[in-house]
Amino acid sequence: MTIPLVPNLLRAHLAELADNDSRIDGRDRWQGRETQVEVGVLPRAEGSARVQMGDTIVFAGVKFQVMQPYPDRPNEGGLMCSAEVRPIAGRNWETGPPSPESIELGRVVDRGIRESGCIDVKSLCIIPGEKAWQVILDLFAISDDGNLFDAFALAGIAALRSAVVPAERFEVGDDAPLGVSKTPIMCSYHKVGGRFVYDACHREELGGDERIHITLGDNGNVHSLQKGLKGIFSTEEFDEIMGHALSRTSELRDLIN
Amino acid sequence: MGGYGDVQMIDDKGLRMDGRGPGDLREITIETGVVPVADGSCRMTWGTNEAIVAVYGPMEAHPRKIQRQDRAVLDVHYNMAPFSTTDRMRPGFNRRSREISKVTKDALESVVLLELYPRSKIRISIEIISAEAGTRCVGLTAASVALADAGIPMTDMVVSVASGKINDVVVCDLNKEEDNYGEADLPMGILPNSGDLVFLQMDGDLSQEEFKQAWNYNMEASNAVHKQMIEALKGDANQ
Repeated sequence: MTIPLVPNLLRAHLAELADNDSRIDGRDRWQGRETQVEVGVLPRAEGSARVQMGDTIVFAGVKFQVMQPYPDRPNEGGLMCSAEVRPIAGRNWETGPPSPESIELGRVVDRGIRESGCIDVKSLCIIPGEKAWQVILDLFAISDDGNLFDAFALAGIAALRSAVVPAERFEVGDDAPLGVSKTPIMCSYHKVGGRFVYDACHREELGGDERIHITLGDNGNVHSLQKGLKGIFSTEEFDEIMGHALSRTSELRDLIN
Repeated sequence: MGGYGDVQMIDDKGLRMDGRGPGDLREITIETGVVPVADGSCRMTWGTNEAIVAVYGPMEAHPRKIQRQDRAVLDVHYNMAPFSTTDRMRPGFNRRSREISKVTKDALESVVLLELYPRSKIRISIEIISAEAGTRCVGLTAASVALADAGIPMTDMVVSVASGKINDVVVCDLNKEEDNYGEADLPMGILPNSGDLVFLQMDGDLSQEEFKQAWNYNMEASNAVHKQMIEALKGDANQ
């Protein structure tokens, strides 16, 4: 990703808006953009979802491969999660080897899903020590108007929940739904104009400071956290964010359950 | 071409496995404005192919060494998403996608009025979300719709279609099985208003007569696709 110029005018404007408790696109501080989730949208994937949050659009696709289990875990399959943000998604994204930004995106989403234990890796074993399923979740951005993290996480879990293991094609049994028992959901917050806002748009990201990502499970259990970019935050600020994440994740969970 | 030859793909009534006659196209849909943050965009489905194309620019060409003092340069990226194929496609450039990016750029540079934007760059990102056969044609056609959607001046749009040969019969617009087991493939990029060409590839085995027939199928098909492209762009303008 090319380093975008951060206009001082934009930062000043965002600070002024923050003083009046408003945002650049007119939303409330804790208000998310309209969110749509569609599943089964990719004909070649075994599970798929398209998520649109305002002008941010992403796809998630699930593919399966047969792998040899790792020697120390002969009864387990694997989950791999990768995120790609190609130049189609916005003028600051470029081709080339994966940028640190897109690697961070993929890894943070991966941790939230993996650590929630929503996929029972033992159920992915076909023949112990010889064959197991590797589940590959590919996250792909089409239009980046900010907060790709939440869009990727939501599309990722929705795609996994719609996935069918293609056992017949690999001649190892009958097709069956991939068991996904839990629904981890991510909420992201950006420091904009000196205070945290939920679901930042691209201009808020551009003129903002640090960001915090929280992934919560069905019972409000915490599965992954990440602080990104330069900035300092207090325990009080974090508590406020966590309070919002608890209610917002359950709203978003209803969208895909 | 696979050229296995022993797979029967045409029945005794002359119909193909998906029920089409020899000169019929698969179903096509075209939509513009699908990437809200881009300057122009297009989503095209063609059978179960799906391409999404975004156009950014004209914008500053960097690094500076790619700048041309008298014209704009096109920066074309053709890519297949990892979930676009039956077996997962490993992310990243490969020789095939580089070649298709290059011939697509060569075709589009033949119609875009580059001299209007000296020292600048127009970026065209072609992403294949779902692949069936003929993705280079879908990508090139969708790219010219996206350029029109972005308001980039062109002498004409490019319509790209392919014809080929299966079981010794020349047919238009090969699907996946026909492409895998067929005997020839002739993709062309046609300027519908003049009938001129800006893109041409071929591989396989065609007699002079078969070649002429495939060529004519492509010319006829390009007119039908062009009508749909115009409709999609007009619909967009009416909104």
